[in-house]
Amino acid sequence: MLLFLYYSMSTSTHTSVPRQIYPLARLNPYQGNWTIKVRVTSKGHMRHYNNTRGEGCVFSVELTDDDGTQIQAIMFNAAARKFFELFDMGKVYYISGGYLKRANKQYNRVDNDYEMTLNENSQVEEAVNEPIIIPTLTFSFVPIDQLGPYVQQKELIDVIGVVQHVSSTMSIRRKADNESVPKRDITIADDTMKSMIVSLWGPLATGIGSKLLDMFDASPIVAIKSLRVSDFGGLTLSTITKTIIEINPNSHESQKLKTWYASEGSVATFESVGSTFRPGHTNDAPSMYSDRVGLEYITNNPSLGESTPVYYTTRACMSFIKDDQAMYYRTCKTCNKKLTVNVGSAYSFLICRKTQTDPNFRYVVSAKFSDASGEAWMSLFADEAETIIGCSAADLDIMKSKPDGSAYQTQLKKAKWVPHVFRVMVALRAYNNDRRQRITVKIVSLVDYAGESKYLLNEISSTQS
Amino acid sequence: MDTSKPAVLVNGGLLRGYVGQRVRTVAQVVRPDAGGLTGRSTDEKQIDVKGKMPAAVTTFVEVIGVADGPQSICAEIVTNFGDTFDANNFNQLCRHANGDFRHLFI
Repeated sequence: MLLFLYYSMSTSTHTSVPRQIYPLARLNPYQGNWTIKVRVTSKGHMRHYNNTRGEGCVFSVELTDDDGTQIQAIMFNAAARKFFELFDMGKVYYISGGYLKRANKQYNRVDNDYEMTLNENSQVEEAVNEPIIIPTLTFSFVPIDQLGPYVQQKELIDVIGVVQHVSSTMSIRRKADNESVPKRDITIADDTMKSMIVSLWGPLATGIGSKLLDMFDASPIVAIKSLRVSDFGGLTLSTITKTIIEINPNSHESQKLKTWYASEGSVATFESVGSTFRPGHTNDAPSMYSDRVGLEYITNNPSLGESTPVYYTTRACMSFIKDDQAMYYRTCKTCNKKLTVNVGSAYSFLICRKTQTDPNFRYVVSAKFSDASGEAWMSLFADEAETIIGCSAADLDIMKSKPDGSAYQTQLKKAKWVPHVFRVMVALRAYNNDRRQRITVKIVSLVDYAGESKYLLNEISSTQS
Repeated sequence: MDTSKPAVLVNGGLLRGYVGQRVRTVAQVVRPDAGGLTGRSTDEKQIDVKGKMPAAVTTFVEVIGVADGPQSICAEIVTNFGDTFDANNFNQLCRHANGDFRHLFI
């Protein structure tokens, strides 16, 4: 018996399969009883976690329907284990019995207001007569610090990194046929804190390489597929004819790198992999001077960091710190979790259930900072707070507990009006019914006066032109 | 702060415009001389400094005194400025202080 199956997205199908296919665009939490027909356009790996509620595993898939609408579907624990093997990239599935809620934009970058959770009772059925269309570009990136094993191997690798440097085009004469080939070297760095030179050959050097040179100071992210790893100059990556380069791709890895770079990568120094070390390249490393703003800029823009946190660099001094705030909390020496105060002087914790009389102290400080433009309250934690206050939280506690509080007061007083350069994160935090701007210090650096002067002189010059 | 005897911020090239006036500059010490030292200004010109020097002189010194020639200063105060100094920054400062922003300076 022949079965004719045709699928139309919005009307019910004339088939023996009694299901009405909903377009993803029509799904919402108040819609019951839907079935969708979607292709898996991205599949994440299984992630195992351990939090206060225990252990678990989770993975997610990106689903796309015929209209091109996308939605993320997440599965935890039993559902994750049930469906992980079933979902394959590029295959089409009928799915029903999922639960919709508002998308968590922090973890979900798919363009949809909702996200779907599938549980053990959800139904997932592979549509066997559909062609499998795997999205053209799949990468499996090798972190820069793990390139070693690939040297001189036949295997081609993929990398992703933030562009640190772009050279001009060089002309190399190929020995084989005496032809001149253009070549351009770019340096990329990733969050393994290592950097690497990638040699672009031929049309990649002149085409996309030239584009990278133009957009260099925006610190673009490049994802490169199919690179040859050679031991020329220690270790180099070279493009071949089938190499594909994507600039600022719209992928999860790219976003992760972007966030890392914004928060700490841009001020970091990278160790170069490969023996040809490139000392002092000519381009100014835009580190402490990129995204420079005055405190007033941040406080005058209450909508900064509305959807995702934004990062800036600023030079300021701590101008006021309340000496009666709780500047630190106690943590367990073994599991590092916060302690609750117990009777007497022993502390117990939420997680380990151990009692300790000698806990660790971790800073949590809120203080006011000032610069030439204005002032702002900022939060500092751990190492950053220790740099500003000038002593460890444990030592500060000792000073505070003394009957003569003058050592404590002096320590706080000394910490004020010392200029530092801060890398700050600005985000909006829910506060009762309101969303308040919160500035958190992520990195503290000493002021390099020669560099600051140069920066200021540039700023002055730019106001004149 | 004593503002009764203001000194103009100059480099080697600007010094000649203030002969007879009180000036201040930072120079790199090339060699000590009888009665002073020979210095190189932040714009690579020679400056002769006459006067009392500190006992030990660092690589860079600030000189405040009266210009007594197109490349010479009769120093009143010589201060050690250490061994690291960004000459380029100071040079640009001199240009601003005598150029578009001179109204902010003396």
